[in-house]
Amino acid sequence: MSTVVDSFGQHFFRLALIEAVMVGAVAGAVGVHVLLRRLPFFVVAMSHATFPGVVFGSLLGVSLFAGGAVVGIAVALLVVALGSLRQIDDSSAIGIVLAGCFAVGVLVLSAQPGASRDLSAYLVGSIVTVNTADLVTTAIVGAVLLSVLAAFHKELVLGAFDPGGLTALGYPGRTLDTVVLVVVTVALVVCVPAVGTLLAVALLTVPALAARQWTDRVGPMTVLAAALGALSGVLGLCLSAAFDVAAGGTIALTATALFVVSAGVRTAAARS
Amino acid sequence: MRAFLFDPYRLGFMSRARVEVVLLGTLGAVVGVHVALRRLAFVTDAVQHTVFPGIAIAYAVGWPLLPGAAAAAALTVGLLVMLTSGHRQFFRGAPPGPRVDFDSALAVIIASFFAVGVVVVSRRTGYAADLSTLLFGRILDVSRAEVVETAVIGGLCLVVLALLHKELVLLALDRTQAAAVGLPVRLLDAVLYAVTAATVVVAVRAIGTVLVVAFVVTPAATGRLLTKSIPGAMAAAAGVAAVLGWIGLSASYEASLNHDVRLAAGATVVIAYTLGFAAAGAARLLFRRA
Repeated sequence: MSTVVDSFGQHFFRLALIEAVMVGAVAGAVGVHVLLRRLPFFVVAMSHATFPGVVFGSLLGVSLFAGGAVVGIAVALLVVALGSLRQIDDSSAIGIVLAGCFAVGVLVLSAQPGASRDLSAYLVGSIVTVNTADLVTTAIVGAVLLSVLAAFHKELVLGAFDPGGLTALGYPGRTLDTVVLVVVTVALVVCVPAVGTLLAVALLTVPALAARQWTDRVGPMTVLAAALGALSGVLGLCLSAAFDVAAGGTIALTATALFVVSAGVRTAAARS
Repeated sequence: MRAFLFDPYRLGFMSRARVEVVLLGTLGAVVGVHVALRRLAFVTDAVQHTVFPGIAIAYAVGWPLLPGAAAAAALTVGLLVMLTSGHRQFFRGAPPGPRVDFDSALAVIIASFFAVGVVVVSRRTGYAADLSTLLFGRILDVSRAEVVETAVIGGLCLVVLALLHKELVLLALDRTQAAAVGLPVRLLDAVLYAVTAATVVVAVRAIGTVLVVAFVVTPAATGRLLTKSIPGAMAAAAGVAAVLGWIGLSASYEASLNHDVRLAAGATVVIAYTLGFAAAGAARLLFRRA
């Protein structure tokens, strides 16, 4: 325990804590829309599909964040286009695109050895190395994402439950769907420095699912999901410092533990 | 052309890799048509991530990797059946118990299993190198014994699928009807999940935990673009997978040896599959227009 207390005194650990809180809160809130629209597989796919963007970003020397975001958004549009083919169901479309994109990333990487250190940080996160610039990026992008969700809250929730009704009322349903996919993709890229692409799925689904166990209402669920996400970030980071294991993995496991507790309480309450 | 297609396979390791790729491609193609019919691509993706901690733990303890992967896959299938039994309804009218839909259950399982794998691997030194072997596979290193294992497990999976073909297709196309004629619906679900998981487990060693989904999803989708009949799609998918796997391996060898561009073998095969799918999709669009 004393290692954790010592860690608080260190600058890098305080930066990491702030990052964990922000990422957890943003991902938790966005995660509610992932659940409402049943997008978990899309999130998993994006976590792989942004990979070539990051590889290119790393080779060209531009920010990994920008590379991942650009390719991620392009891929999201490709999935929408492929899914409109009649023979291909959405889930196959997502599978094809994710594997294809990931393979491109691996190929480029295998042709250009030497980048693998950066890459494993990308895949599993490296929260203790975040710097002030990263924190500012996370804060700004997170604020933009949350404002978009707040501004279109009513329309997005209606679209999730009753897409036909939304279109009938004259809203541009397709555009709103695309907005959600873009928000989710950007949120995923924001999580990458903290937990890595592969575990970002955890932050984007598990806290929201845990919050879902406590309430039926979308508003309180969003607030609770953000709180649980932030809590997972802080607890996970402290546990990883205490036991000297990877921070990304520990944060994801903490979120899972919160879900298991929530589901357990709910089951017990329903039985009594 | 002849040199491109045949010369690399005079080397023992290339020849084993070719046999492994063709076996895995055929198996993945047939399983993949079932996966596509049931829209289970996400289950495949889930299993390929959840076997990771099994492999990581087996590796850390020094056990053979296959049993570790198989145990993790079995645990995934068990958890999935348990978490989603009777709880498909997510919102109003949901029965008591945890409110978890199918996709969310998978996401939780993926996230927690994968996290365990990362935590286990992070305790070891040489973290990054180990991790990338597990993530990206090592098709050029397969041994004769591993090829035999693949053939045996793959053969068993294909026999099960052939024996239950009618029942599985009926279940995929009309679940209510299948239940009404008295088929054990949940048991058949579990069998299909188990076959999918077994396919992922044998493929993971060669291809790595992230690219396996391509072996199951992409050739099957290509096969379905080419023909409507289910056995036809399986045959087409298997043919496409075998031919493109061969060409992909040759291309990776050719580029690495003669053009000084090192292309990872597994990833090149996946790119070949993806291009094959794109070509079939483009052809289909053209014919529909004409």
